[in-house]
Amino acid sequence: MRVPVSWLRELVAFELPLEALAERLTASGLAVDAIERVGADLSAIRVGHVVERAQHPNADRLSLCRVALGPDVNDGAPVEIVCGAPNVAAGQKVAVALPGTTLPDGKQLERSKIRGVVSNGMICSARELGIADEHEGILVLPAEARVGAPLPEALPAAAAETVLELELTPNRGDCASILGVAREVRAQTGAPLRLPPTEVAESHERAADLVRVAIDDAEGCPRYVARVVRGVRVGPSPDWVRRRLEAAGMRAINNVVDVTNLVLLELGQPLHAFDLAKVGGGEVRVRAARPGERLRTLDGQDRALERDDLVIADATRGIALAGVMGGAESEVSEATRDVLIESAAFAPARIRRTVKRLGLRSEASYRFERGVDRAGVARAADRAARLLAELAGGTPAAGAVDVSAGPPEAPREIEIDPARVNRLLGTALASDEMGALLARLEIATQPAAGGRLRCRVPSHRNDLVIPQDIAEEIARLHGLDRIEARLPVAPLRVVEQAPHRVLVDRARDALVAAGLVEAVTLSFLDAGDLDRLDLSLDDRRRRTVRIQNPIGEEQSRLRSTLLPSLLRAARANLAHKVERVRIFEVARVFFSDGPAAEQGLADEPLRLAALITRGERTSLWEPREALPLFFEAKGVAERLLLALGREAWLRAGTPEPYLHPGASNEIVTPEGVAGTVGELHPDAARAFEIEVPCALIELDLATLAGLPERRPRYTEVSNQPPVRRDLAVLLGREVAAGDVLEAIRKQAGPQLAAVTIFDRYEGKGVPEGKVSLAFRLVFQRADRAFTDAEIAKLVERVVGMLGHRFGGELR
Amino acid sequence: MAEPSVSTERLAALEASSREAIDAAADLTALVEVRARILGRKGSLSELLRGVGQLPPEERARTGEAVNASKARIESWLEERRAALDARARDHALASGRLDVTLPGAAAPLGRLHPVTRVEREVVSFFAGLGFSVEEGPEVETDFHNFEALNIPADHPARDEHDTFYVGPGRVLRTHTSPVQIRTMTGRKPPFRFIAPGRVYRHDISPRHSPMFQQVEGFLVDESTSFAELKGVLYAFAKHIMGATKLRFRASFFPFTEPSAELDFECLLCDGAGCATCSQTGWIEWGGCGMIHPRVLTACGIDPERWQGFAFGMGLERPAMLRQGIPHIRLLYEGDVRVLEQL
Repeated sequence: MRVPVSWLRELVAFELPLEALAERLTASGLAVDAIERVGADLSAIRVGHVVERAQHPNADRLSLCRVALGPDVNDGAPVEIVCGAPNVAAGQKVAVALPGTTLPDGKQLERSKIRGVVSNGMICSARELGIADEHEGILVLPAEARVGAPLPEALPAAAAETVLELELTPNRGDCASILGVAREVRAQTGAPLRLPPTEVAESHERAADLVRVAIDDAEGCPRYVARVVRGVRVGPSPDWVRRRLEAAGMRAINNVVDVTNLVLLELGQPLHAFDLAKVGGGEVRVRAARPGERLRTLDGQDRALERDDLVIADATRGIALAGVMGGAESEVSEATRDVLIESAAFAPARIRRTVKRLGLRSEASYRFERGVDRAGVARAADRAARLLAELAGGTPAAGAVDVSAGPPEAPREIEIDPARVNRLLGTALASDEMGALLARLEIATQPAAGGRLRCRVPSHRNDLVIPQDIAEEIARLHGLDRIEARLPVAPLRVVEQAPHRVLVDRARDALVAAGLVEAVTLSFLDAGDLDRLDLSLDDRRRRTVRIQNPIGEEQSRLRSTLLPSLLRAARANLAHKVERVRIFEVARVFFSDGPAAEQGLADEPLRLAALITRGERTSLWEPREALPLFFEAKGVAERLLLALGREAWLRAGTPEPYLHPGASNEIVTPEGVAGTVGELHPDAARAFEIEVPCALIELDLATLAGLPERRPRYTEVSNQPPVRRDLAVLLGREVAAGDVLEAIRKQAGPQLAAVTIFDRYEGKGVPEGKVSLAFRLVFQRADRAFTDAEIAKLVERVVGMLGHRFGGELR
Repeated sequence: MAEPSVSTERLAALEASSREAIDAAADLTALVEVRARILGRKGSLSELLRGVGQLPPEERARTGEAVNASKARIESWLEERRAALDARARDHALASGRLDVTLPGAAAPLGRLHPVTRVEREVVSFFAGLGFSVEEGPEVETDFHNFEALNIPADHPARDEHDTFYVGPGRVLRTHTSPVQIRTMTGRKPPFRFIAPGRVYRHDISPRHSPMFQQVEGFLVDESTSFAELKGVLYAFAKHIMGATKLRFRASFFPFTEPSAELDFECLLCDGAGCATCSQTGWIEWGGCGMIHPRVLTACGIDPERWQGFAFGMGLERPAMLRQGIPHIRLLYEGDVRVLEQL
């Protein structure tokens, strides 16, 4: 809402500096987004009095004037100014720019000689001052203008306009008007309110004899007021009207339409002007649209209406879409002589539905959606009649046709208990203090039973319904900043973190410790990414939640897997020449099936995904030959699982189509597979344009959170000397090292403190198809040292087992 | 074999040859050998010492003294030499272990939590300290929980401000964390003290916004919870999270609170003087708050005549952005390693 300050001042003469006022309005709920100045500053232009006009000695069409400019100029003596305008005359009050003044077009005026005579300034035209487009001679000021005064003082239209840009909350439709804002200013400053005048000389014809109004849809239209103004001359509005409308953000159209807009802005009541000659039978009927009804609106569109739409009709057809837009047929044109002014209250929800369905938003519908002041409907019609008489030369017919669909609404009364208000706000305001605050808002209070206050709500405040609403009015006028902050007093309570939140924290910490960076990406998915992952058609991840109004096709689903987000992030990073991407994300994914889906929601399990790429070796200390990326990812996954403290293990292979079948593992729990770790499949890598080695980890944290916590248990630390034996074993390449390790552990039993693989070699010296694995076995007992013979026996059994089960032989 | 006689000459010769051998020892191993040859059980000086026993008693004391003196001298030479060799060996070791210490360290890869996660953790732990536990709700919400129960009926203009993503009939991506209030309070008995952090969605593609962002909702319901207490909690919170000590509560409107307020804090970059970050206003908008609307309590089956409470909600990005000078929110959600690694 744009509020020209000069207009606001007409309705409330506040004295507070504008900045201070803006601060108060902002604090009390009318946020002032900006204080904007529009138009040129004309305060350097002075009011001059043409004392004498004479013919220029050397030019027929020029005048030589002696102009008095008050005591500050030339010691009060008149100065000589040459003027070329035909309309200049002695006795006029005129606008004078003195040498050195900068005019609105940016030019600085200099003292100059014109046809041999020095001119000590310039008598300005309205156009030169940027006030109007008029160029027939100089601007003649009212006779009472004070000589020597700055021009804006004598001519309000010359004042640089200041506009308050307000951000209104949806509850304060009443403030979508100069009057509404003026009421708030009055509440904040105490300055008196001056309602715009509505009195007007009427003709002897009665409006009721010229038009008939019927409300068929009582729910949609509680009140309809029609006034008739005859004999208007449609044409452009005077400059002050145009300036005012433009400052408020509207365009001037013609004097009749401009009047309706002036009133809309001033009083917040949208009006519509019909060409009375085109209102068939002089009859106005407010009704619901008929099945199949169509209406051509002002914008030229032919619109199909629905039953819920509210229509203004004449005797035969619809002539306007009530509260939203007029009809093209009954529009005011230059030929219009008689005007029917509609001022009505329409049901907010009805208007809103029509607006939303047709995508037709207007200044009028904005106000109707928020509810207009039912009691102000007639005043707005009267105000319009007066302005039409003033600006369009019309004569209003006597009275108005004022039809209500029911009995007039009684003023709303709300009872408050001051003690409860204080309890809600944490204040200690006395009942009469509350009354005084409310009085500033025209809310009258009366003592009621039990120390309560009965509050009578003015008709323009349709947002005040319950005692808490009144409490808010008290709070904001008292000042929220004056309510003293204090911490609540409440019993101690134990705060426990949900298992999945604990798990999320641990997972994040473990991955950060493993050198991964946490990313947060948008939850959207491009359905094509599921194809890029090569997911089968019956894969659950295809059962996505679809967004009906997505930002774009690429973001039209909720993601059912975090991988595409990470792969896209990786690709973007690669494009920035960041080759080493180590990122992870913890977030929910969404499925359209599952138990929650039966209640219409989505299944939203919590997932974790990580992505690691490898780029070129860039640091001196990196090994020249890096380990396969899979093992790096697997190491991260192992650490992660350790940190999570749930029973989970890794198993060779996975059916995931986007992972390398020979370089991947599944993460398995007693509840089933809960994740994967593996290198990206070359096809998926191509599809996502990842051109460096890339490995992925995925984990369903929801599954893990459901498993019991496994805390590591203490096992006795032995002080007996450990005995180390290294075995280099030739094995077939197809033998899985993990199986061998497991078998060694089983075979050697509890006396084997540790077994690791510390070397793996194939090539020269190792037969084709074989691989040499070097195992380090560490034996230790808790009670005593081993004898050599015991160790030899243990090792011999392991070696025997390796040969027998895996065909392994010592090198 | 006759014992060599212990003569002054022999002793002198032995001393001289010992000195020579000691000085010639090139390293500690050689020195140990030299020592053995002289002072060992079969060493030359030991042999001489044994000869002293066979001397006539009158000579024994004098000669013995001379031999012992000689032995002491040799031992001190040995010690000197050992110290010298030791020092040389250490110098050598130091010299050969000398590195170009200006080379960079072998850094493990850098891990980092997301800036908003760090803020979220601080928020959760701050409120845990005040006895607020964490509640969550679905991101795909019903129209009922996201709007209706929060006193935002279908034809209310307040819906315009929500820029909602729709996912099906009566289903939306939650536009705020407030529906968690409804889910948490329904079917339970007050008093309540909860926070609800989480992702929320708005169909807003202007450059200063992100269609997904993270909020935290907080609410407290008790018999005498007041706006004054809401202010008390938010002052403590803003100070803890951002070091902000100046707050501004502007009266405002949210359908689910009454009274309602917008919460601003004084810009930390310019101390309220006005700068680009605060759009020259000196204040930064942070969130909304107010006293829970009685209709919301009623929708949750709670008697608003007995219970009252406050609620607040704000973005988690704002503190992160302000603390680390992140100019716009989208940088947080693009997965750009160049951004995330530095934060």
